[in-house]
Amino acid sequence: MIKAERLIKTYGTGELALTVLKDLTLEIPDGAFVAVIGPSGAGKSTLLYQLSLLDEPTSGEIYIDGKKTSVLNQKEKTALRLNKLGYVFQDYALLPELSALDNVMLPILMQGVSRGEAQKKAEKALARIKLSDKKANRPSELSGGQQQRVAIARAVAHNPHILFADEPTANLDSPNGRLVMETFMDLHNDGQTIIMVTHEEEYAKHAKRIITLKDGEITSDEKR
Amino acid sequence: MIKRFVTLKNEYLNDLSVGWFLSIRQIKHAGKGTTGLIIFIMILAFLNLVVVSGLLVGLLAGSFAQFRESYSGEVIITAAPGRDYIENSPALISYLEHHPRVTAISPRYGINVQVLGTLNDNPQKNERLNQVGGRLTGIDLEKEEAVTHFSRFLKYGQPLDQNEEGYILIGANLLKKYSSFADANIPGLDLLKDVDVGSRVRITVSRESGVIKKDFIVKGIVKSKVDEISTRIFTTDKEVKRLLSANKEQVQEIAVKTDYALASALVAELKNFMGSYAARIQTTDEAIPSFLRDIETTFSILGNALSSIALVVASITIFIVIFINAITKRKFIGIMKGIGISPRAVQLSYIFQAFFYGAAGSLIGLIITFGLLKPYFNAHPIDFPFSDGILVATPTGAGIRVAILLIITLLAGYLPAKIIVRRNTLDAILGR
Repeated sequence: MIKAERLIKTYGTGELALTVLKDLTLEIPDGAFVAVIGPSGAGKSTLLYQLSLLDEPTSGEIYIDGKKTSVLNQKEKTALRLNKLGYVFQDYALLPELSALDNVMLPILMQGVSRGEAQKKAEKALARIKLSDKKANRPSELSGGQQQRVAIARAVAHNPHILFADEPTANLDSPNGRLVMETFMDLHNDGQTIIMVTHEEEYAKHAKRIITLKDGEITSDEKR
Repeated sequence: MIKRFVTLKNEYLNDLSVGWFLSIRQIKHAGKGTTGLIIFIMILAFLNLVVVSGLLVGLLAGSFAQFRESYSGEVIITAAPGRDYIENSPALISYLEHHPRVTAISPRYGINVQVLGTLNDNPQKNERLNQVGGRLTGIDLEKEEAVTHFSRFLKYGQPLDQNEEGYILIGANLLKKYSSFADANIPGLDLLKDVDVGSRVRITVSRESGVIKKDFIVKGIVKSKVDEISTRIFTTDKEVKRLLSANKEQVQEIAVKTDYALASALVAELKNFMGSYAARIQTTDEAIPSFLRDIETTFSILGNALSSIALVVASITIFIVIFINAITKRKFIGIMKGIGISPRAVQLSYIFQAFFYGAAGSLIGLIITFGLLKPYFNAHPIDFPFSDGILVATPTGAGIRVAILLIITLLAGYLPAKIIVRRNTLDAILGR
């Protein structure tokens, strides 16, 4: 479970200060599939960065599995990200020197799993997204859709509690976008908690809960 | 406490493992041209470290080696200070000739003489005699050959014959025609004019008992980069004995050929055998004048100073390469940190890369040094006026330089990685 309490994020100071998140509170239970939507500049990505501990809120608190995160140092936050969180970035963010398999293996290895075991887990994750035949390919040898699916495999291969996705379909054409969403649906059906930021309503409809942001505030929170 | 230690150890091992995993793949997929260039620079840095100082020191080392091979042998025994000859020479010679670790010896007679080059004409008014002072050295040709291969120094004329009488070989640096110093016009430096192979010269020996004069034919000219050859006059030991009025069996020098490593032990043994005052017994290294040792030290310092500059250049190169490599991958470093890869593992990946460049450069440098340059300079020494310069490079010395290079390389890899890795994760991901 992840909980945000009275979250405020302000960039800059004095007259140039810009408050992007305004006293925002929300709670997302385990197993939820949440889409955060809203117009450009609404604070969607900023909310995701705070929830995923990539950034620190100006004030407010985030709890992950009941644990207060503001008291954690950088090292503890890194460990928490490794063990409990997974990320899918808009531009795939695969490491170019690593093959698809190596990209997926990396966080598993970081968890202290042996090389052989990590490889098995990574192969299983690639098989799940039907890319076993591309495991030796480097990102430059994969299509955008394939890269994003490898990124999803990397994000979930180490069994995170919460999967964050920041505009995961933004750079993809419709067929590939649908494939990515199907993958998310499969993961959700297996009990994975997913928090996805998107500006595409078509894909947001796949989520079981849609939170709409505008000017840093929640304007609607619709369970479906 | 123990649990904390075990956790820390596991964290470090895990970071090492992930750092290694990343570095291997980054090296594998790095541009071949860039990798080649970095390794090439590291090779140059290594060669600069080893070869520059090695050649500078080698100029002196070559001179020392020539001194040993051409004159002193591994042990040189001379008359004690203030004495005319080595006490009990026959006993010592006999002892050495039967010593199991002595390969060969060359007993030498030596007396200071005046050599007159012009016998027929008297000098003009205010004109000095065509005469030089020198050391007449009497050798047993066969024994001298066994120690120094003396015949190789004969540049002009014919070699001496052990059974001939009235012939000498004269050092090139005593003759105006052949001396390297002839054109230097050094005040007080007298050289024999118009003396060449076949010339007749008069040798004068001044003894307490009187003056002995004898004419000799110059049978040949000897030349070497070792002064003890090029500034002496050589004849057979029999000939010198005839010029001596007394102590005809007591020699002035004995050059001893033995194993270089055993020289010190032999010197100690001979000192014990002879006593402290009978002779001056030295290893070849002890016999080398201290000013040459000082030059060697100076060259060594100079070489190290030049090497240090190379080291700084190499470290800056590695720093720049790793920094550019890391800064162009800032986004990916941010992503790695974002997905939970520890900053230390990322840093280690860059340190491993730097280590790879340093190790590859050093390895190739070692192969070039010991497989190519050292044999080459041994076969083709640098023709230096006072020595044949060689490349001095020992495995230990090279090993120390490899260690220095690797430590500097690791530091040069660590610092830029540290600078980049500690930047804000989100800023790195978003390219801010």
